[in-house]
Amino acid sequence: MKLPELNLPVIKLLIVKDWQLFQKQLALFVLGALVALCLLGMARGWSFYLGSLMLIIVMVSIACFAIANSLIVERKEQTLAFVMSLPVSPLDFYAAKLAGNLVTFLVPFVLVVLGTLTVIVFTALPNGLVIYSLLVFGHIWLAYCVSLSVAMAVESEGWNTFAMIASMVMINPFIMILAQIPAISEATSVDAIVWSVPAVLILSAQLLLGVAALAVSGWFHCRKTAFY
Amino acid sequence: MSTAFRVTGLCKRYPDFALQDINLALEEGQIMGLVGVNGAGKSTLLRLLTGLTAADGGQVEVLGQQMPGGQVAAKRDMGFASEDMRLYKSRSLRWHMDLVRAIYPAWDENYAAQLMRRFDLRADQILKGYSHGQRVKALLLLCLARRPRLLLLDEPTTGLDPVARVEVLEALADVLRDEARSVLFSSHNTHDIEQIADTIAFLHQGRLLGCSDRESFVDSWRRIVCRGAWRGDQAGLPQVVAARQTGSLLELKVRDYQDTLLATLKQQGLDIHSVDPMALEDIFITTVRAGAIHETA
Repeated sequence: MKLPELNLPVIKLLIVKDWQLFQKQLALFVLGALVALCLLGMARGWSFYLGSLMLIIVMVSIACFAIANSLIVERKEQTLAFVMSLPVSPLDFYAAKLAGNLVTFLVPFVLVVLGTLTVIVFTALPNGLVIYSLLVFGHIWLAYCVSLSVAMAVESEGWNTFAMIASMVMINPFIMILAQIPAISEATSVDAIVWSVPAVLILSAQLLLGVAALAVSGWFHCRKTAFY
Repeated sequence: MSTAFRVTGLCKRYPDFALQDINLALEEGQIMGLVGVNGAGKSTLLRLLTGLTAADGGQVEVLGQQMPGGQVAAKRDMGFASEDMRLYKSRSLRWHMDLVRAIYPAWDENYAAQLMRRFDLRADQILKGYSHGQRVKALLLLCLARRPRLLLLDEPTTGLDPVARVEVLEALADVLRDEARSVLFSSHNTHDIEQIADTIAFLHQGRLLGCSDRESFVDSWRRIVCRGAWRGDQAGLPQVVAARQTGSLLELKVRDYQDTLLATLKQQGLDIHSVDPMALEDIFITTVRAGAIHETA
């Protein structure tokens, strides 16, 4: 089977373009995450809850910001037509949007994940929170991938907003489900990183399902010869 | 002479609209004006030519490439700007120029600077502060300075003030000093088309009503004013597209005009008062109305 050719130099330029467009706002999100991490690091009851809430808000905001600005707002403000007029195929466009979006999301996401793990490990917080945090971040990753796939495939702003809000809001029931799994909930208060079977399964499922959602939308775009 | 684009038997269907059996070609070095009312199918045709949309039937060949499969190669030599295309508001024209220059090796910085002066644009100004006219000019600059072989413009003069419109039209006319460049320019403003187009194509309700060079096209139409009564017997005179009776005066608008028509009209008892050429706008309105009548008949 002949693999489709990609216009890599233009794809690279479009990724840089997206990064340049959003870097200032992303820096502000990272600043917000730093404040949240400082609160977490104080290791007091009130600061822990305030910090963790703020951290989740910042992470959800980063995920929604990346998708909304690089796809939904571009459609709404009609700048997508400009990008499509450049020498790119629908697959090039998909690859550029996917990579640009992942860069826009993953750079602050990875920074915040690493910062959170560092705070947990090097402060008085119990190290058992490492797995718990990774599971919460895993949910944000999965929600982001699902929302991004929907945004790539569906032009409707309403459906995109619904996909983003619904997938992100699911973090609440998800946290409640984690609290019902003793192997995970009980490990949060111990000062050791415990990789239980449910935790490994959930985290693996989050990572794989996220990649699968992106792969499905990629397969869909590979078959497209035109944008509309 | 080679063709900039050629479409054959082109069809595109939407739930409420269909572009039907379009056959059209543009020779290199020509400016074609695509005239039609809003919703006639001009934007759909341009999207098909740029490869943004896939046809349901027929062939689209642009700069030697079959579309939409060859759109990447074709778009390397093509500039496309449409009325609904926007640039990034938070960025400057310079930022956009740097982006386009990095993509198109033929980018001409001197020409870009010349256009910037001509259009009175400031490269470092954030586009949020640009007026509609300035945004259109900026888009045109980004298209023209890449020195495309084919320029596709969808309603570029819509919403521009008279001065900006003239500036844009003059810039387009200058593009054609290079005989290897071609332009397809859609508009519902016949005055703009009349000023710069070599060839005129009429699109109405998804159908191509006619296409020919501007001079012979305009020259083939006449407005004939006579005295007498119109019997409504158009079957014998298919070139009469419209007839309007006002008292004893009869106004006929005819296409494919030949002097022999006057003798025929006289034989039918009409007294010819005057025979005048028609303006493109008048031809356009007459054609559209006749097309609409034909469709509903």
